[in-house]
This record gives sequence, structure tokens and C-alpha cells, in this order.
Amino acid sequence: MRIEKCYFCSKSVYPGHGIGFVRNDAKLFRFCTSKCHKNFKMKRNPRKVRWTKAFRKAAGKEMTVDSTIEFEKRRNVPVRYDRELVQTTVQAMKRVAEIKSRREHAFWKNRMAAAREKLVAHRKKKHTTKASVKLVEPMQIEAEETELVREKIKVPAKSRSALVPGEGRSMGMEID
Amino acid sequence: MGRLRRSRTHHAQRDVHRAARTRVRTRDLDQIQLIDLDPKNRAKLEAQPIDLEKPGLAQHYCIECAKYYETDAALRSHWRSKVHKRRCKALKEPAYTIEEAERAAGLGREGKRPTTTTLPTPIPEVVMT
Repeated sequence: MRIEKCYFCSKSVYPGHGIGFVRNDAKLFRFCTSKCHKNFKMKRNPRKVRWTKAFRKAAGKEMTVDSTIEFEKRRNVPVRYDRELVQTTVQAMKRVAEIKSRREHAFWKNRMAAAREKLVAHRKKKHTTKASVKLVEPMQIEAEETELVREKIKVPAKSRSALVPGEGRSMGMEID
Repeated sequence: MGRLRRSRTHHAQRDVHRAARTRVRTRDLDQIQLIDLDPKNRAKLEAQPIDLEKPGLAQHYCIECAKYYETDAALRSHWRSKVHKRRCKALKEPAYTIEEAERAAGLGREGKRPTTTTLPTPIPEVVMT
């Protein structure tokens, strides 16, 4: 039984699940769900979609360099069945998973601590910039001396109206 | 509660499902990056024989965007466009592969070194002929 990985989100695809797409250059893309398939059809880059494992790895949200990750590999070499080997392998898998989860937790804790520090620093900065000294201090008022003098704008009497009075005729209604 | 979705997400795109059909599927970024942009293939694509089925008889083809144009003027104006420049930028970084998906899942490959996707050679400037 071979457990494949989803092309888009990198989840495991178990036999009988998901869908595959064969491109015309014979490359097989496997998808765990229709969601991943649709996103692929939309030609989205999994590295830029936040919920995929590829994004999390690329953005430094998950452990990338660790010896525990190096165990799981695709080995295209057949191995003859050996009871002993299987037993030791299963034991080793359990142990490796245990160590891995612990390291992942430590990584997460580290990351969160760094994030919290950053947030605190950001808040502090925001706080200090908010309280402006300029606004608190009393300011000199200079406006008293320069009192605005309203000058009357003289308009020549001739150009006051655009209406040209008629010669002898008035614009008003004539009443007989 | 505030707004959950940002505004102006509609682009009045019709026939989205039609455009997503397998038979109208265009070339993927990794195919363009690894095959089409190779100088030898590039020359071949730029000088295609006359094909009555293709737009513009397959004489005006943009390799980066994998698209045929009707006229030379249309192709030139496309090269100056934002769409083309955005595509060129996307092609500069290594394309996403199946190997990368597996590596993200924690599944490595034996024998091969973890393929640190090397940056492809920078896309040569489009030479105006």
C-alpha cells in the first residue's frame, strides 16, 4: 500500500481517496480533495496559499531543518520481508515520532515567543508615538496681533449689472 | 461583527468553468520555465509554421504567457502590458513541483540530494525583431 501526497496541500492521500490529474507530459498530480483539485485548476501557487503545508514551510512557520524529518523517504529499492526488521522499524517510527513532536512543540514555543516580543515592541512604539508632546504643551498664541482688516472691495457701479436697460422699454410687464 | 470579506472581489468574469476545462488548459509555469524558455525551444516557438487553426496563423506567440496573438502590433503591446510583466516576474522564481509538495509533507527522496530548486537563468530581454 502506497500512501501518496497531495500536490497542493501535501496531505496524505490514501488508496481510494482523492483524484489524480495526468498532464499531457505524463506527470501525475494527486489531490486529496476537490478543494485542492479546484485550486490547482485555478493555477494557484501552493506556496502562496496560506493553508497549505508548502506555505507554512516556505514562510518559516514549521520546522524545516531537523534530523527527525530525514527518516521518512521514498526508497525505490525493494526489501525482502523480515519479521525482525519490521518490528524494529515500527519501534523506531514510534520513537522518532515522539522526538519529532517534542521538537516541533519547542520550535512552536520559540516562534511564539519571538512573535510576542515583536508584538510588544510594536505596541510600545504605537503608544509612544500616539502621545504627542506638541499637543500637550501650551502654545503661544500669536494670532492676537495680526487682526484681520476686512477691506471693502470696491466694485465699479457700471459693471454691477449685466442687464442693459432698454431704451424707453422696460423689462417689466406692461399693464394697460 | 465586521465585514468578513473584502469588497471589490468581483471582476465580472464570465465562463469561469468553461475556462477551467481540461481541453483549454494552457501550459503550466514549470513547463514554460524548464522547456519553453530554453533557447533552442524558444527559437522554435518563435518561428512556428503557419497553422490555420491557431489565432493569427500561429505567427505571433508570447512564450512567457503561452498565448497566440493575431498581429505583431498586438503582441508588442502585450509585451508592454502589466499582465506580461507580472508573468515574467512569476517565472523568475522556481516553479512549484511535485517534489516540493512531498518535501513539505516530510517525504524526502533517497539517493538524490534534496533538490534545492536552483534559480533558472534570467529571462533574456525580449528582442524586438
